[in-house]
Amino acid sequence: MNKNQKNPFNTPKGYFDSFEGKLMDKLSKTESTIPKGSGFKVPDNYFEKFNDHLNGRLENEPKVIPLFSIKKIIAVAASIAAIVFISLEYDQYASNKLSFSDLANTDIEAYFENNDFELSPYEITEVLPVTNTEYSDFLNSPIQSNNLLDYLNENVSDFDEINIEDNE
Amino acid sequence: MIEEETLVLELKTKDKQAQAFEVLVNTYKERLYWQIRGIVLSHDDADDVLQNTFIKVYNNINGFKGDSKLFSWIYRIATNEALNFIKQRAKLQGISDTDYQDKLVSNLEADVYFEGDEIQLQLQKAIATLPEKQKLIFNMKYFQELKYEEISEILNTSVGGLKASYHLAVKKLERYLKED
Repeated sequence: MNKNQKNPFNTPKGYFDSFEGKLMDKLSKTESTIPKGSGFKVPDNYFEKFNDHLNGRLENEPKVIPLFSIKKIIAVAASIAAIVFISLEYDQYASNKLSFSDLANTDIEAYFENNDFELSPYEITEVLPVTNTEYSDFLNSPIQSNNLLDYLNENVSDFDEINIEDNE
Repeated sequence: MIEEETLVLELKTKDKQAQAFEVLVNTYKERLYWQIRGIVLSHDDADDVLQNTFIKVYNNINGFKGDSKLFSWIYRIATNEALNFIKQRAKLQGISDTDYQDKLVSNLEADVYFEGDEIQLQLQKAIATLPEKQKLIFNMKYFQELKYEEISEILNTSVGGLKASYHLAVKKLERYLKED
């Protein structure tokens, strides 16, 4: 088909469609330097015996076990359910657990009164937390004079040793 | 010769499977062998890969949807098995695929199942220098004499692209053989 009106030449029908094929055929005829055979051979009767060898392999082929069998899925689901159940029970148990703040002050006092810990005041100071104790705690809670007199009465045998008059 | 569709149907039917599989093996074993041998070069390796190919076909026949021809599906499996075999062997030996293939070609001289002359050995050396796809196309077209349309379906490449690749491969091989 002549698409250019100025061009008086024409081509046979389908020329361009078959051009590539004809070119490649021509090119493929220039393979003279390449030998035709590959040089490979197979052992005698190899193809005749191949089926028997293959059947032997297929019989010994381990059965394919599906990665996600029904039994495995059930086992995994049961394990997950058990873990969830145990953790929920544990949370419930943990939420019911008593803490120190739940104890009544009277119970604590009774405990200390009825049990002899054999701790000296110095040892108690080592045990008691002092980090939250401020100087202001002492100022806001002044020692009552009655308590002071009771303490002195019980613990001091010789009042002269105190020498109150000299220090006043 | 049994129709391909019938063969596929029988391969998927339990009581006819064994017989149909034998037909399949008998139909394709020789053609697939040469396809594989052209890649792995040694007979023992080709035998291993060919058996693996048929085992894979047997185990996966139910997954064959018929989108392509059975012939090209099996050919594709064989080609991939052979290429993977080369890659795995090269990895095991800690060398590149190219170095491993060079090694395969040099082993041919002592191979009892290679009886090629000097020019045929040179041709194998020359083929080893080609890029993977050109190598496949050349082997399929030149030695196995497959049609471009068949190669096109196996390698999922246009016929035009195959012709160009084949022509390039031939030119490279000729140059290699003339220079050597």
